Amino acid sequence: MKIKLTTLACMLGLAVSANALAATELEKLRAEVDALNAKAIEWEEWKAPKTLVHLAGYADVGYADTKGQPGSFNVGTFSPIFHYQFSDMVMLEAELEFGIDEAGKSEVGVDYLTIDYFINDYVALIAGKFLSPLGQFRQNLHPSWINKMASAPVGFGHDQAAPNAEVGLMLKGGFSTDSGSNNYSLYIGNGPTLELEAPDEIEMIETPGLNKDGEGKKVVGGRYGLFFPEQQLDIGVSAATGETSIRQGTAGSYTYEPGRSYDAIGFDFGWRVIGLDLRGEYIQQEVGDQATSVAPTGGQWTAWYVQAAYKFNSSNYEAVVRLSDYDTPHASQDRNQTAIGVNYIFASNFIGKLNYEFNENPNAGQTADDRVLVQLAYGF
Amino acid sequence: MNTKSFNTYKSLFAGLLLMTSSAFVNTGIAAEKPNLTGDVGRGAKSWVDNCMRCHNARDPKELRDDQWITTTFHMRIRAGLTGQEVRDIIAFLQMSN
Repeated sequence: MKIKLTTLACMLGLAVSANALAATELEKLRAEVDALNAKAIEWEEWKAPKTLVHLAGYADVGYADTKGQPGSFNVGTFSPIFHYQFSDMVMLEAELEFGIDEAGKSEVGVDYLTIDYFINDYVALIAGKFLSPLGQFRQNLHPSWINKMASAPVGFGHDQAAPNAEVGLMLKGGFSTDSGSNNYSLYIGNGPTLELEAPDEIEMIETPGLNKDGEGKKVVGGRYGLFFPEQQLDIGVSAATGETSIRQGTAGSYTYEPGRSYDAIGFDFGWRVIGLDLRGEYIQQEVGDQATSVAPTGGQWTAWYVQAAYKFNSSNYEAVVRLSDYDTPHASQDRNQTAIGVNYIFASNFIGKLNYEFNENPNAGQTADDRVLVQLAYGF
Repeated sequence: MNTKSFNTYKSLFAGLLLMTSSAFVNTGIAAEKPNLTGDVGRGAKSWVDNCMRCHNARDPKELRDDQWITTTFHMRIRAGLTGQEVRDIIAFLQMSN
């Protein structure tokens, strides 16, 4: 009887201990689940915080070998883009551009700096320095990880036929109709300035995005685009008008002549069809005459390009061909170019390019500057 | 300001107002009730349709969920997307991430 009682007591003791142990394990498990839940909530916060900071951008390095000149390795650009966003209301965007010149000195510039106020689903107000919305190449296609060639088409570089940037206000947005997706940009800004080529000619139209409107007459313009998703076809028309003037002197003591007319017009398209990526663009800037100017005669700067790219199925290789042409009032600046290239797409944002450019200057009776370009471009 | 400039400004601002008001009118007629959380299915289609208008499509796993928000708002400005398209694309990218 005594043995039975002892055994029973032991079993009860064991049961109590086991229960206690189970309770401890349960509490431990509960604590772990609570901790995991807290982490999950924390991770959810990453999905929709009110304030966001993000660093994006792109960079490229390469090698250029121009006919008659020694080939050189080069650093193209390093262009970080800063995004600071508060809720779905406002975002600050700024793109810097770092480069190294021939002498090895570093250069830095502000490509754009805007505060974007999202008024509603269809309109955003953009204030500050923005990329010119005229055409597509300068505003959307110039980043090296996007551009399928290692260089810009002739006439689409800085201060050539395609406007680069503007300082002012812009309304930008999109809306859908039965015919497709519509997108638009409308802006008012300080406009460009003109650089004098002594003694009496206009050298070029400068469009870096000026912080001062020298002659006091604004430029207004914009682009209207239509995108057909089924056909993968984009078309756009751009225009701007206003006044500009010749600027003389040095920084801090510039003088400006009276204004003269400034007009720009452009057309662009992009079409993805039967495996081909086709795109093209035409842009023209024109300045009028000004009788009181040291350079009374105006002029026209015009450029166009067409480009076809084909990515071979189940490989990372892409072939590209591009034709471009640039006409100015100065025969020595005119260019036409045929460029061919092969790209290797390491990743969607990391591309190796090998190009050959046939460059001609037919209006000055010269053939010049054929070159080989190699480039590695990375977008982040 | 001379008369020519004034008339130019007036015409262009009239065009601006017409354009933006047509945006509201058109979308007002065609748009469904806004989906504030975004629609994953529509987002997938918008992602496919729009990214390759300019560049190679980016893998949803390339960025964190929060990074896709700023990136997609940046693309709203670049590509002229609507706010609804942005919410749909974010919903798709975050779901696929």
